[in-house]
Amino acid sequence: MYLSRVFTPYVLFNIILFFSFSIAVNSYYHIQYINIIFYIFFHLTFVYFLFYHYHYSQFILGFIYGTLLDIFLINEIGSHLLTILFIILIYAQLKKLLLLLTSLQISITIFCLVNIILIIELLYALIFNGIYFNFNQIIYYFIISFFLFIPSLFLFNKIDN
Amino acid sequence: MANRFRVTSLHITKIIKNVTIISVILLSFFLVLFSKTDYFLINSIKNISSGFINPITRIVAAPLNAMSNLVNQYDQFRNLKFENKILQEEIIRLKKWQTLAIQNSRENKVLKKLLNATNNNLKLVKTASLINRNDALFSKIININAGFQDNIKNNMSAINERGLVGKVIETTPNNSRILLLSDPNLSVSVKTISDGIFSIVTGAGDSKHLISTFIKDNKMPKIGDIVVTSGTAQIFPVDLLVGKISKIEKDRFYILPFVDFNSIDYVQIVISE
Repeated sequence: MYLSRVFTPYVLFNIILFFSFSIAVNSYYHIQYINIIFYIFFHLTFVYFLFYHYHYSQFILGFIYGTLLDIFLINEIGSHLLTILFIILIYAQLKKLLLLLTSLQISITIFCLVNIILIIELLYALIFNGIYFNFNQIIYYFIISFFLFIPSLFLFNKIDN
Repeated sequence: MANRFRVTSLHITKIIKNVTIISVILLSFFLVLFSKTDYFLINSIKNISSGFINPITRIVAAPLNAMSNLVNQYDQFRNLKFENKILQEEIIRLKKWQTLAIQNSRENKVLKKLLNATNNNLKLVKTASLINRNDALFSKIININAGFQDNIKNNMSAINERGLVGKVIETTPNNSRILLLSDPNLSVSVKTISDGIFSIVTGAGDSKHLISTFIKDNKMPKIGDIVVTSGTAQIFPVDLLVGKISKIEKDRFYILPFVDFNSIDYVQIVISE
């Protein structure tokens, strides 16, 4: 009873976010793709958290995680920070419209949004930081996010309930 | 009275909310702007992140690190017999080279004395071990456990037993970040040993090869030529091993680095003596 009062969905989502962030910024050569998986999982969690638990404090969260991801992964601030804040801003403006959607439509929107965020980050890093990416990387991102999507939603639903 | 209090508190919440959102957005834009212009502020933020957040992320990710080590140990154990055979062959080969190297070293010393040549030996600043790596996504960066308290400064070269690893891009009291040679944003001026062809190379973006971005006088090297740092840009010391020419195209060439970037455990931070 006490635990359920402490570990509210808001706290649990923050724990998941920090855990996936920690793994995403540490590379493990011997376990391939693990940090790509957690990098995508971080984005999935963030978007789901934004859709179902929107609070203006997420601007601060987005600011912190965006800056840290930029520093750890690119060493230049911009790509993740601006993309995440842009997505939160768009959501804040369109949330009344999104309330009209069914749960399936929202799920598809989350999936599409995650992939759009990942592509925007890659594009920003290419244009402003000179970090190249190839088409295979986008395919990897898409496939991994596709396979992660349903189990993640299942987990998030469990947390919400 | 109660209604008025509720309305006032609603107003205050709304004001706090709007102020927070606007400040965060403004702060973000300033940070992005300063990341291109103000190095002091951005470096302070980077130092705080590396000094405080990095250790916490390592603790959180410790179970995965342990799992990665376990997978590594299993792989090593599986290849033990095969590796032993290769190492035995390599020992025989290296013994032959050792005899030759001793002879050459003696000859070299004598010739240097005769020519009164200046020494271009490297000065070792610090040997450090790898703490963690951020090279799977975006930039190719590794973190080592030595910082400016160990006299490490930005732009110093990092090498290991195979050759050039990269350069220091950021230092905190106890940690430093090294941009690997395989990163597309790191340019190195190099020359071939056989023909002395000067060029500039950067990471090819595939994490495996380096690619030439400029070749002096458009002279093309041969496949198999060994490439070392030329020292002309005065960032990297001269004659550090870089790699071998592996592929030549119309107006550029590819280099396969000697360093295996996936299995770096220790690096040495060096400067020219």
